Amino acid sequence: MTGRIVRNRVEFEGVVTEELALVDGTDLASYADDAALTAIGKRTTRVDGPQRVTGQARYTQDIALPGMLHVRILRSPYPRARIRKVDASRALALPGVRGVLHRFNAPKAAFRGEDTIFREEVRFVGDEVAAIAADDEATAADALALLSVDYEVLPYVVDLEDAIRDDAPRLDEKGNVTEGGSYARGDAPRALKAAGDVVEATYRTATQLHNSLETHSAVAAWDGDDLTVWESTQHVFGVRQGLKVALGIPFARIRVICDYMGGGFGSKGGAGKYTIVAALFARQLGRPVRCVLTRHEENLAAGNRSATLQTVKIGARRGRITAIEHVSWSNSGQGKWVANPTGPTNGLYDIPNVRTRSWRVVTNTGALAAFRAPGYVEGTFALESAIDELAERIGVDPLALRLRHARRMTDPQTGKRYSLKRLVDCFEIGAREIGWDRRRAEGVRGSAPHRRRGFGVAGQYWGGGGGPPAYATVHLDPDGSVVVRAGTQDIGTGTRTILAQIAAEELGVAVDRVRVEIGDTSSPYGPISAGSLTVASVGPAIRLAAADARVQLLQAAAGLLEVRASELRLAGGNIVSAGARTPIGDVLSKIDNYTVIGRGSRHPNPEAFSLKTFGAQFAEVEVDTRTGDVFVQHIVAVHDIGRIVNPLTAASQVEGGVIQGLGFALTEERILDRPTGRVLNANLEGYKVPTIRDVPKITVRFIDVPDRRANNLGSKGLGEPPIIPTPAAIGNAVANAIGVRVRTTPITPARVLEALALR
Amino acid sequence: MKPFSYARATDLADAFRHLRSGAVPLAGGTDLLGLMKAGIAAPEKVVDISGIAELRGWTRTRGKGLRIGPLTPLVDLETASDLGAQVPIIAEALRPAATPQLRTMGTAGGNLLQENRCWYFRDEAFPCWRKGGTRCFAIDGDNRQHAILGAEDCVAVAPSDLAPALIALDAEVTLQSGRGSRTIPLAALYVAPQGKVRREHQIRAGELITEIRIAEAALGRSGAFEKAMERRAWSFATVSVAVSARMKDGKARDVRIVLGGVAPIPWRARSAEARVDGQVLDDAACAAAADAALEGAAPLRDNGYKVPLARELVRRALRRIA
Repeated sequence: MTGRIVRNRVEFEGVVTEELALVDGTDLASYADDAALTAIGKRTTRVDGPQRVTGQARYTQDIALPGMLHVRILRSPYPRARIRKVDASRALALPGVRGVLHRFNAPKAAFRGEDTIFREEVRFVGDEVAAIAADDEATAADALALLSVDYEVLPYVVDLEDAIRDDAPRLDEKGNVTEGGSYARGDAPRALKAAGDVVEATYRTATQLHNSLETHSAVAAWDGDDLTVWESTQHVFGVRQGLKVALGIPFARIRVICDYMGGGFGSKGGAGKYTIVAALFARQLGRPVRCVLTRHEENLAAGNRSATLQTVKIGARRGRITAIEHVSWSNSGQGKWVANPTGPTNGLYDIPNVRTRSWRVVTNTGALAAFRAPGYVEGTFALESAIDELAERIGVDPLALRLRHARRMTDPQTGKRYSLKRLVDCFEIGAREIGWDRRRAEGVRGSAPHRRRGFGVAGQYWGGGGGPPAYATVHLDPDGSVVVRAGTQDIGTGTRTILAQIAAEELGVAVDRVRVEIGDTSSPYGPISAGSLTVASVGPAIRLAAADARVQLLQAAAGLLEVRASELRLAGGNIVSAGARTPIGDVLSKIDNYTVIGRGSRHPNPEAFSLKTFGAQFAEVEVDTRTGDVFVQHIVAVHDIGRIVNPLTAASQVEGGVIQGLGFALTEERILDRPTGRVLNANLEGYKVPTIRDVPKITVRFIDVPDRRANNLGSKGLGEPPIIPTPAAIGNAVANAIGVRVRTTPITPARVLEALALR
Repeated sequence: MKPFSYARATDLADAFRHLRSGAVPLAGGTDLLGLMKAGIAAPEKVVDISGIAELRGWTRTRGKGLRIGPLTPLVDLETASDLGAQVPIIAEALRPAATPQLRTMGTAGGNLLQENRCWYFRDEAFPCWRKGGTRCFAIDGDNRQHAILGAEDCVAVAPSDLAPALIALDAEVTLQSGRGSRTIPLAALYVAPQGKVRREHQIRAGELITEIRIAEAALGRSGAFEKAMERRAWSFATVSVAVSARMKDGKARDVRIVLGGVAPIPWRARSAEARVDGQVLDDAACAAAADAALEGAAPLRDNGYKVPLARELVRRALRRIA
């Protein structure tokens, strides 16, 4: 095979960039729509399910190495302070304490644009001040209290809207507010002037915390100059990159492993300070070092979804939306970037005049991290709420209004045709499933006194087309065993299972004959498990690697069977020729100790098309108008993501997204004490993720039409789409039920009662 | 966590011996361990009383009322079908409490003696008045979960769901120490932290609850429990309401209306009780009682919603026993 460089447009979480990538060989055509597939498209239970539920699966936090030390981190109690002095003598005197790192003694280590992981100026409650390594975690924790730090407290601001004000302490040379992006098509101001009806409203969304089941964690061990790091991460190669930059050592000296991980939702995209601390201590002390964040730390310093303030001005003329202006301010905390809540407004609907602007606001709070469709959940809440408010104003059914702007097959932002777009089908199927015809503009009576029932809808679009670079190898052993090796990782979505299905399909073997080895930088490069791109990026490379292995296998078999390779095919674990089927193992047993290695790489996306995923969700709710309680009865989620590789894990993905969206809509909110900048609910009791009792009936439907232009599988990603429209659909259903809108998430009983009182 | 010594009491006398030397009692540990991990409680000695068999279990003797051992796991009170049939309000109050795990570990006595959930109290970094500091951080902080009634120096609320239900049944508790015992109304166990009092219960060092008792007469009353929460499980009440009354000829007597989550103590709404005493519990009477229950409510910046919410739960609970 020969490699060639391709220029590739990659959409990642709403941002399109051009990258160079190396690809191998030629791509295969996508499976035909009616191809008789035996593994792909079948409900397949997780290949690692038994390991996960019996406790055999090894997560980073399970790694225990001989002589391993444990780290705890001292975090700033102030939202902003200069560290004048650190006295570690008492901590170091505690038996069992092996080392302390802080700004005055830590080696330089580049991290996210700074040259140290221990800043002179700490900038949020929870910012890293010092780290202690000890024989056990309890000793390290006790030693934290013995560190004496001299802080000079500096002026600070922690609230988004406080930070925007002119009199706020200035946290950044460029000011607290900087532009995160803008977009325009048509002439929105003029169109709004000409519009017959205009709705203008302000929406607010709360800071959402990831709360992955497994907290951020790393274990580092050196063997001479070679560093091995086990990390709970969505991107082993990203961690490797972070370590290379921080420690100044070449890739060849670093191996990063993530066998199993307990979720990430975007917050585990690369090396963290805890990773570098573990590596530095391990090098300094000559022992393996483990650094695991507590749940409390996780909720201070491991990222969040920015709170937003958004204004939307939307106009209609003759029953159609003619223009939208959407401006958003996001609390990035100490983050150096901003997600774009106006993305959905720019691209979801075919609306001629659009003008949007997104602002990043810095505050003395923890940095944002990507969080499952960053920006899009918040933005879709504002956009889809405003569309409903407009629909009500002009007396048009909100679903009908959306359908008027959902049919166009051209991407309004690029002018390219969509490779596939079934948004209208999503709306129509969803409407049937929820029983949209039961909806009344004024809501309907609920199932108990003082209860009102309402229905809501929201649409969604997202990238998810994936792209290069992604590579894989498929190894065949003489007994017919298959090993798939790819440098991706299973964030919890079922990646191992799906990749096994793809290889099994191409090789004509049962899924359980395939072992998938992922989560290791010793494997061929794989992209971050984020941006809804794993299946669409890695999957096609696996298929090509398996196909390459199959060709090699059949060539070998042809020689042994003395027939032409072109007369052979693989099916049901057999090598099949005209009239004869021989088990793969029987053929290859004649050539012991031979490994067939197939290689595959992800080929570029088609230039001429816009690759998107679409979906629509519907909510049916009841609201108790006397207590403000919102009872979500039913969510219908219909998604258009091309071919479904595994309907079982795909449905799980959608359910998980809906539940996380439900939390965003109704209960989840990081609560900050404004005078001190402390997080008041940095624990799972106070930070309210939905419990199983909060989860409504969820109906999941897929369009399941292959997007044959997208890649050789016809599949796109599903990680993010299902969370995007849920809060908006619920918010619209609540407004329909009670006739008054709550424009702030979470839609708590307190806010519902307040809105009802003002009615 | 500060190191501490641990001893396991073999019987009540053994427990009192440990308590005399300053040990803090540990039953289910669902509250104490959290307080210790957060650095709010730092006992030097802990005596585990969970193995004292005589404090576990409940008995119902005809004519002599109901006796609940303080170490009875909440889940036992919640799921005992005969108890549920006779005194449904107890199970009703426990069902939405905490989680199955916490109800399995948690005990009746521990539930009644748990500390408040104020996030300023529970965060070691806030030197709040209740912990010996100079001011209440919730008064000008985030007080969405705090008191609307009866609070002065500390605006934390009584968190127990069980307490309002038992107080509505005029429960009494026996407090025993190595030196003797006293029996007081459960309602009197609770004190509002204010002035010189910086605690929530009047149990003394060295004392244990050894019995919870409900008199026969109260067991015959009708009762209802209502709870509002921020999510459907594992959430302390934003407002809870327990009501009971002896219903005769359609009229309510011996009415008790007790609210949780609204005041530093389980809050008996006596004027509301008086409003419906001897009345038919029709819509108007229940609404009038609900209004009376919230008279004098003084919400803070973030908890105004508790006033209409509490009013509605009082009204609903009363209507249910009509």
